[in-house]
Amino acid sequence: MIAILLIASALFCAGVFGLLTQKHAIGVMIAIEVMINAANLVLVGLGQHKGAAVGQSFALFTIAIAVAEVVVGLAIVLLLYRSRGDVQVDEAREMRQ
Amino acid sequence: MSLADLQPLMLGLIVACAALLLLLVDLLLKPSARPTLGWLTFAILTGTLAASWLLPLDGEVQAGVWQGSLWTTFLARLMLGAAALAVLGGLDYVARAWPYRQGEYYTLLLFSLAGMVLLPGCRELAAFVVCFELMGIPLYVLAAFGKNENGRKPAEAGMKLLLIGAASTAITFFGAALLVGLAGSSRFVELVPYEPGPLHGVAALLLLAGMAFKIGVAPFHMWVPDTYEGAPTPVVAFLSVAPKVAGFAAFASVFLVATPTLASTWRPMLWLLVVITMVIGNLVAIPQKNLKRLMAFSGVAQVGYILLGFLGGVEFGAAMMLFYLAAYLFANVGMFLVAHAIAEAGEGEDIVHLNGLARRSPWLALALLMFLLSLAGIPFVAGFWAKFYVFTAAWRAGHGEMVLLGALFATVALFYYLGVARAAFVNKSERSGPVPVKRPLALAIVVCLLGTVGLGAWPNPLVEAALAAVQGLY
Repeated sequence: MIAILLIASALFCAGVFGLLTQKHAIGVMIAIEVMINAANLVLVGLGQHKGAAVGQSFALFTIAIAVAEVVVGLAIVLLLYRSRGDVQVDEAREMRQ
Repeated sequence: MSLADLQPLMLGLIVACAALLLLLVDLLLKPSARPTLGWLTFAILTGTLAASWLLPLDGEVQAGVWQGSLWTTFLARLMLGAAALAVLGGLDYVARAWPYRQGEYYTLLLFSLAGMVLLPGCRELAAFVVCFELMGIPLYVLAAFGKNENGRKPAEAGMKLLLIGAASTAITFFGAALLVGLAGSSRFVELVPYEPGPLHGVAALLLLAGMAFKIGVAPFHMWVPDTYEGAPTPVVAFLSVAPKVAGFAAFASVFLVATPTLASTWRPMLWLLVVITMVIGNLVAIPQKNLKRLMAFSGVAQVGYILLGFLGGVEFGAAMMLFYLAAYLFANVGMFLVAHAIAEAGEGEDIVHLNGLARRSPWLALALLMFLLSLAGIPFVAGFWAKFYVFTAAWRAGHGEMVLLGALFATVALFYYLGVARAAFVNKSERSGPVPVKRPLALAIVVCLLGTVGLGAWPNPLVEAALAAVQGLY
């Protein structure tokens, strides 16, 4: 159980690090995916440890939600690319003069 | 399970079915007939609102996974009201700006609303996260709706909302996963043991951070000003109120119902967040020149006051939070609709564009003044009672220092709210002639005005309703 938690926390922290350092919108979304997968690892791993199916079934919901979010996310990134020509997050600050 | 068992979910189901229905109707209608979609949506929303008084909505679904009560009905009415006002106010704009995409717009709005309406009753974590995301994902698309015009950047607004929203979802998921994994159950009642361990505390803080992002609590508020400024104004009128109502309901579900034994962990953090939120929201609002950006920071500050009700103990505090949300709904939707009316008249979205409004359109200026006074908390409009009650709740719970801080920053807030009023009433304008306001938009503004003034004159019925509603939280 400790091993699962350690691996998942490491994965989550890697995701947070990516979230804070990535400049490209796709990179940020990949970092967020890594964080969500850390949550899935906890759900499935601890569910197995406890012998309760609720962890696994919960993971199915989070996977589905993550997919929905990525689909919408990529569509918005595409929209931004069409209107600006690049998708660097740190340069999308036209409103903060 | 029979269909009758789903009775308590009826409001959410009506809204979700209406969303699907709109998609179909959109396909059948001729392009010239599409503006009727907006009226259809408005009719469905007001019909559902009326149905909330007629249908029996109390009771459990699936052995307590979903709990219908006065609490869920009260919140559903607030959300339905906010959505109806935002749809009514945006009718002409949507028909003119996106003539071929009206069906999509209203469908997305209704799907998001379905998630919100179902959220407060969830007593099980998987249903909770699904409703939370059903609320959130359509909002990303709505914020990105439309083209660059009038200094607006919808794509940028949508992307900021999306990235922050998705990151907060990931953080919330990790907290939720820890709780579910440790408990071996996802029911709220079984989620946290009577004597929680340190990991439970970590999970509670992750949940707090994730949900603080969603309702725009400082220091997690970075997305709020850009999204409010960039997104289409009728969307912002909806986005700035309904998801906040749902977000606070979710806050109450998670922290008062599911994890009350962890209060010693999350309460100090929440106290800190309230202080930071009030300071940042109010101070950063002062130099703003764009009206929507100013309203965004004002919204951040208002969230601080609402959370004050949350700190103020369970029953009275949560009830006063409901009252605050109702007062905030009318004033905030009203403010954005007035801003929308002025932008629609071909002016712009900066505060200088309000110059001379009192001489040009006295009624619009009066409505603007009432909304500003309500947001600032001046006596005899709704906002005063709202602030008064949350301060009372915080005082009773022994948070005297917060009352002092809140009162201090209410004075600071007066400064920037009256700055907007001064533009409308004192400054002179080069333009003359009344600002043209379309009928539906005018009607929506009048309803907001009546709500703001009415709640200021007779707050008691709503206070009693809120106190009764809180009984249903458990």
